[in-house]
Order: sequence, then C-alpha cells, then structure tokens
Amino acid sequence: MSADGPVVNVHVLFFAKSRELAQTPRSKVDVPSQIVASDLLDQLVTRFDLASIKDNLILAHNESYIENLSDKILFREGDELAVIPPLSGG
Amino acid sequence: MIDSEALENERTKLKREIAELRAALNRKEQCLRDLETTISEATGDEDDVHPDTNGGVCHTQLSNDDIARYSRQLILPDFGVQGQLRLKNSSVLIVGMGGLGCPAAQYLAAAGCGKLGLIDYDEVERSNFHRQILHSEARCGMSKAESARIALLELNQHCEIRCHTRLLNSRNAMHIIRTYDVVLDCSDNVATRYLLNDACVMLRKPLVSGSALKTDGQLTVYCYGNGPCYRCIYPVPPPPEAVTNCGDGGVLGAVTGTIGAMQALEAIKVIVGLGDVLAGRLLIFDGSSCLFRNIRIRSKRPNCHVCSAQPLITELIDYELFCGMHATDKDNPLQLLASEERLDVEEYRNKVQQQPHLLIDVRQPAEFEICQLPDAVNVPLAEVLDDSYLKRFSKQLEDTQLPIILLCRRGNDSQIAVQHVRNRFPKHSIRDIIGGLHAWTHKVDPSFPIY
Repeated sequence: MSADGPVVNVHVLFFAKSRELAQTPRSKVDVPSQIVASDLLDQLVTRFDLASIKDNLILAHNESYIENLSDKILFREGDELAVIPPLSGG
Repeated sequence: MIDSEALENERTKLKREIAELRAALNRKEQCLRDLETTISEATGDEDDVHPDTNGGVCHTQLSNDDIARYSRQLILPDFGVQGQLRLKNSSVLIVGMGGLGCPAAQYLAAAGCGKLGLIDYDEVERSNFHRQILHSEARCGMSKAESARIALLELNQHCEIRCHTRLLNSRNAMHIIRTYDVVLDCSDNVATRYLLNDACVMLRKPLVSGSALKTDGQLTVYCYGNGPCYRCIYPVPPPPEAVTNCGDGGVLGAVTGTIGAMQALEAIKVIVGLGDVLAGRLLIFDGSSCLFRNIRIRSKRPNCHVCSAQPLITELIDYELFCGMHATDKDNPLQLLASEERLDVEEYRNKVQQQPHLLIDVRQPAEFEICQLPDAVNVPLAEVLDDSYLKRFSKQLEDTQLPIILLCRRGNDSQIAVQHVRNRFPKHSIRDIIGGLHAWTHKVDPSFPIY
C-alpha cells in the first residue's frame, strides 16, 4: 500500500468469510503509520477482494474494535489488524 | 413377488408412527409431571417453595437430591448454594435446537437450570446427527424441540421443559421471550439474529449469541450491562451472497459443541452473577489452529436504531424483508436463467448423455469426491468465474457444436456458471441441469448418494 510519509509493516488476520475472499488466513502489508480508518478499510477491501462484505465487518486494531471509521489510526511496526465478518450459522 | 417399494413405504410409515407415538407418550409424561408438581404445591409438600411475583414458584432451599446431584459445582466457592438456587429459579430460552442449541441445553439442564424453553420449527434428519447431539436415530422425523426434550429429561427429570415447535417471528417473539430470564441465540440465519436482538433489547433480556461455520466460531453476550447490541456492531445485514450456511459451507460438530458449551457457561454466569460476563467483548474461535481471541468491541452505538436513547425501531419489524433472506437456513432455489437455458435431468439422461458433450461439475473438490456423474469433469465455480478453466478445455471449446452442460448439487451455482460461460461463448449451447444432483437422485437414480 503506497502513501506519503512513514510506512510500517503490519499483520492482517482474516476470519470466516474474509478468509475465503482474501484466499489466505493472514498477510503482511505495508500501511502508513497514520491513516484514517475508512481509507485503511478501502485499501484492504481493494487489495483483498472484500467488496461484498465491506459494510458488515469488524476491523480490529491490536484486538480492539475500531469504533469510528473517521478516526485516525496510528500504527507501529508489527501491529495486528483483524478483519472479522459476522458468522450466522449454527 | 415381493414389491420392494411397498415394503420400503411400509417401513417408513411404521417408523414415523413409532416416532409420533413416542412424542405423544413424552407429552403425556410431561403433563403428568406438571400435574404432580401442581398437586405437591397445593398440598404444601415443599416448605421451601414460595410463589414468586410472576406466579411461578421460588425455591429457597435445595433438596437432598439437589445436594447430591450438584455437589461438584456446589463446592465451588463462587457458585455455592446461592448459585444453585439462582439456577433452580431461572428460566432460559434456547432458540434453535441444532449444533449450538443441543450442547447448550445439555449443559444447562445438567447444571440444574429450573426451566428451559426450546424453540425449533424443524424436524430431526440424518444430516443433523454429527453435531446435534441430543437427537437420535430413533427420533428421525420428530420435531427437534420434542426430541431434545426427551433427551434432556433423561439427563435431568427435574428440569421443566417447554417446547415451542414453530418458527420464531415478529408476531410471536415478544410473547414467548417475555417469560424467560436469559435468551440463547443458537439460530442459523441472519434474519432470526436481528429479530432476537431487537426483541431482547425491547424486553431487556441478556442475549447470549453464538455462531459457527466450518471450523470457525464466535461468541458474545448482547444487551447486558452497558454492552452493545447486535445492531451496534452490525447496523446493516450482509448481502445474501456473502452469507454461507452450514448446509453449503459445512461445519464440524466439535466446533459447534465448543461454542454451544460456552453459551451455556455465559448463561450460567449471567444467572448466578459469577465472573466476568463476555459482554463488550467478542470471542473469536479458529478451530483449525485452535486459537481463541478476545476482541474488545465497542460500547453502545450512540445512534443505534434500537438500543440508543432515541431508537428509530420501537417495535419488531419484518426481518426477512430487512435482511432479504428467509429466517431458516434452507436454500432458496435461484431463478437466474430462462427455461431454454436449462435442462431437465431426464432430458439429460435420455438425450444429451448419449451424445458427445462436456459435463462440467462446478462443486468444490471435497464435494466432487463424495459422488459424481460418469464423464463429469470438476471445475469449481471460482475457477469458472475467474476464467482459469479456459486453458484446460481450450481444444474442446473450439467446437461450437459440442453442448456444454453445467451441474452442481442443487442447481443454483450451475446457473451462475451458465451466465458467465455463455457470455464468453455465445455460439455454444450452454445449459445447466435443473435441481442438480439432488434431482438426479430423486428422478433418475435413487441409489445415487445425497448430501
């Protein structure tokens, strides 16, 4: 992912449907060390083919839900991002 | 001569009659138990029983049988006699007696929960047994709620069990849920999850929500304390094409068992007031690597449509309409193609199968391995849609006279495949088989396996 300013490498974990769409359970990506959450989501959606579940997922940064997509997220090298869509089966 | 079909019909009929008689016997036994309870209350047999505000009874002492039966949990310092009495006086509603509901109900009944309500509209079938562990072969065809009740009463005859043998909907939900203390969402579809959430918010009932698919599971408690509701986390439902059910995606029984058992644990914690309830946190279970993760989820969404101070939704809505999906996990047959683009199984067998053709089965390789038609080649739908199949069949596809037939399990994915392939090969005859392999079993070859 290209951007101006410093870039850090973070781990992205995919759960449930997002794992199928991304075709991998985990990946490492370069992200700007400061980025607005909605921009981050857009980049993940494009890169990992997540368009169909874009509005129905939890994005968690270091095991914390990103509440507000207009918030600016600060990343450090090695941080963890998790993409968690709902499961409805039982 | 022995007519094997008549014998088979007779066998099916007898099995069903026996199942119905068992269910009737079970209902009579429950009536008897209810009657005996009423009589013993009227004659004042139990000094420790007092009517509570809901018109039910409130136990204030444990019986000797309780003490012996629950001794291993009674000696837990944080649980004790008070915890057991709270459980004995509690009522829990379990929505869905499937892979999650069975283990959850089993642990709640075993632990001494006083009243259990079981909701399921569906009947027991063979494909349930690997994960829905309360049902048995003898009870195939019986209502799942009744079947579960029989198994639970064998486990603990003191548990009062009420069966609601119907689909939960906007008209009956408030009335049913109102009489219970805690609700377990063990359902298998998106519409029921939103319905349960909204009803539990309106009635202020803690909702222990579990879900599972393949080797993944999720668990959290909604509508508890200051924690969020389902709509705070997922304000809009996913599009139908992004939802996979257990019938299509598969699921391991030990995974639903893990989540179902933990739903029982969270319900017990809510009732007893034990430990830290899993509210405001979402447990993610990845069974394939045995990883548990706890994600801190948001607090209440200030503008949540149902649980905020100014809710937009103040009574239950039409959840099937809201979600664009039915409130069951049964498949809806798609109707994407015109009739001339589709082929009846008999027509395929009688005409097309006798001549040169290309039969492409678009199921997953694991499904193709279970059973396949002669001459079928396996190209999973994803490889059709991304065109990676083209190289493999470049020679055959040059011949515009060669009919291309697409096939899947039930005739839904094959239609999607036809739409894609015909755009690329407009001169070919490209059709799919209506009803897929299920239709093949039903109409052509009853010995062909069904899954």
